[in-house]
Amino acid sequence: MAVVIGFIPDEYGEAALTAGLEEARRRQTGVVVVNSTKGDALIDKRYVGAEGMSTLEQRLEESGVEHELRQTMGRDIADEILSVASQVDADAIVIGIRHRTPVGKLIMGSVAQKVIIDATCPVVAVKP
Amino acid sequence: MDTLNLLLDGFASAFTLENLLYAAIGVLLGTFVGVLPGIGPAMALALLLPVTYGLDATQALIMFAGIYYGGMYGGSTTSILLNTPGESASVMTAIEGNKMAKKGRAAQALATAAIGSFIAGTIGTLLVAFFTPSIASWAVEIGAPSYFAIMLLSMVLVSSVLGASKLRGFIALAIGLTIGLVGLDASTAQARLTGGYLELADGIDIVVVAVGVFAIGEALWTAAHLRRRPIDVIPVGRPFMGRDDWRRSWAPWLRGTAFGFPFGALPAGGAETPTFLSYITERKLAARRGSADEFGEGAIEGVAGPEAANNASAAGMFVPLLALGLPVTATASILLAAMQKYGIVPGPTLMTDQPDLIWTLLASLLIGNTLLLVINLPLAPLWARLLRIPRPQLYAGILFFACLGAYSVGQSSFDLLLLLLFGGLGFATRRFGIPVLPLILGVILGPLMEVKMREALDLSNGDVSGLFNEPLAIFVYVLVVLAIVVPLLLARFRPSPLLDQHVQREDQEVS
Amino acid sequence: MSEKNVVADQRVDRAQFALAAVLAVVGIYTIIDARGLNVGFGDPIGPRVFPYVIGTAMVVLAVLLAVATARGDVPEAEEGEDVDLTSPPDWLTVAKLVGILVLNILLVNLVGWAITGGLLFAGCAWALGSRTLVRDLLVGFVLSVASWYFFYVGLGVPLSPGILDGIL
Repeated sequence: MAVVIGFIPDEYGEAALTAGLEEARRRQTGVVVVNSTKGDALIDKRYVGAEGMSTLEQRLEESGVEHELRQTMGRDIADEILSVASQVDADAIVIGIRHRTPVGKLIMGSVAQKVIIDATCPVVAVKP
Repeated sequence: MDTLNLLLDGFASAFTLENLLYAAIGVLLGTFVGVLPGIGPAMALALLLPVTYGLDATQALIMFAGIYYGGMYGGSTTSILLNTPGESASVMTAIEGNKMAKKGRAAQALATAAIGSFIAGTIGTLLVAFFTPSIASWAVEIGAPSYFAIMLLSMVLVSSVLGASKLRGFIALAIGLTIGLVGLDASTAQARLTGGYLELADGIDIVVVAVGVFAIGEALWTAAHLRRRPIDVIPVGRPFMGRDDWRRSWAPWLRGTAFGFPFGALPAGGAETPTFLSYITERKLAARRGSADEFGEGAIEGVAGPEAANNASAAGMFVPLLALGLPVTATASILLAAMQKYGIVPGPTLMTDQPDLIWTLLASLLIGNTLLLVINLPLAPLWARLLRIPRPQLYAGILFFACLGAYSVGQSSFDLLLLLLFGGLGFATRRFGIPVLPLILGVILGPLMEVKMREALDLSNGDVSGLFNEPLAIFVYVLVVLAIVVPLLLARFRPSPLLDQHVQREDQEVS
Repeated sequence: MSEKNVVADQRVDRAQFALAAVLAVVGIYTIIDARGLNVGFGDPIGPRVFPYVIGTAMVVLAVLLAVATARGDVPEAEEGEDVDLTSPPDWLTVAKLVGILVLNILLVNLVGWAITGGLLFAGCAWALGSRTLVRDLLVGFVLSVASWYFFYVGLGVPLSPGILDGIL
């Protein structure tokens, strides 16, 4: 039982992290922070590097909430978050959500939308 | 000072607005593909061969020369920022370059690589301009038997010296020669190896072979091993160097150039050996100064030297290409194929038949090299962003342009079928560790070699002695024998030192 | 990495026998094909000699490869920036790509490059794991139409317009 946080190193990920820690305290449980990559480019700026991971680890340590960090790789980021959620039998999933126009969503797709629709537990979507 | 005048004439014809535009396009395009993972300069040139249908020879060669130098530069950028050398020539640059970048000196590493490339490329091209005419005037005298022998030598060297396995080198060569056989025999117009297909009567277009083996083969091979974790990248600003960096860089640049140029001009010389030698030399010299500790921790000399050697050898490649019509690298083979498309006959007479073209090409190499420095230094941060292009779209793009190139040869779907077959061949060569260079060289030089052989034997009325009746030919055959025998003997007396080295290198990579 | 090599060393790479067989067949076919050629009058060499030499060399190399394989010689597959040899090969993706390339071959003269080119790009991106189909189709069609015009106007080569004849 835990709160699963979808994390990327930008303002949306930050918002999700803050909200997720709060949610975990409220539910008196731990957090599982998931950072995923499609692994299809040489560089993925949404994938946390070694240095970023240790700072993240430190911040979670300081928050005092029981935590776990996972980095995964797969075809679809939403599926990665959902599969972690089902593995840890999540209480809730917290994700950051960005503004997308209908055309933008058609072209770029939306990870958040898929997570919200397909999740089997409550999903908290926050904006920075 | 005849050469200088000719070169100035070359500049005069290269310095039109249109030609400068093509040089700039070439340089940008070259850097673009050089930075992109998975595409080397040879593949980029192969993909662009179809433009030869519309451009005239000068413009096409100017653009191709730009792509070539740009591709080399792009390769060094990725190896410094990512520690993933795209080609074997950038391995040495990556060692110190990536260490420098990790210590926050990416800007200086990129700058010394760029300026070193510029200096080495410029000196190298000037050397080409001064050497080529004299070699060419001597080469015109070479008879068919000797020319046959020289081609044989370069094939044997390329097949046996490069790559881990000689057997596979020769297999690649034999495959290439077989592909070169397909089509109508030049003197009797009988179909060979066409299997009755009329589409094959004209032979297999080099565009189809090169694009199939390089582009389709690479895309299929990558598709089979696609997913991997992203690499930590080092952010870059605008490259620049401080006074101290300049002081430490200039001598390695010149020494690197001195190493690189002669090796580039040799068949099978390549860029690996001179970059390695340059790195070793710089390390030794640093030890003498008492600053060897810095090597392995990001010494600027270790970037400046090998990078200059790399580009000087790239320039050296033009000597055999222009003077003898002999390509010694995969990229040179494609350049030669481009010349053949214009009906330019490669060989010792190239320099005397097409002097304008050659001098314009040399002048545009110098221009391209300068443009490279001017355009690319400020653009480095932009190039680094290219690494974020997702592989599906990147390789879909490669496949798209590959099919476009092959289809444009004759607007026939038969060519696309051949392309797919050669893609399969390219995949197999990668799977079985068969080197690509001997294969391409076989396709291009094979038919030429047969012509020379028959010329020589016709003169002697079919007697085999016709191949040996020139002193130069005999001398070259001795070299051929030595090239085959000496490595075998060395292997017998020194039980595979290369293997040990290899294992060591792999261990280092793991750690 | 080195661990994998050790494992591979103990095995014989069977696929190399297949390669050797294919090479031998190609070599023999080259020789047989050359036997069917006529040597013209007054042509001391003729078109046969070169293929004979190459064909024979190919057969010899094939035998050498078979022997080397039986002795435990393994190929050193090519690595690259984008190639991760530690993961097992993904044949499904390769098959999908080949399928799309074949489809392009069948359709290109019928429908025209401006359409098949776009489908080719989007199809390959899809096969390679892209999930943004609409974007890929857009990019693909922009590329294919632009390349059609580039060849037509810039290089003077009319690629097949197919069903868009008259529209382009």
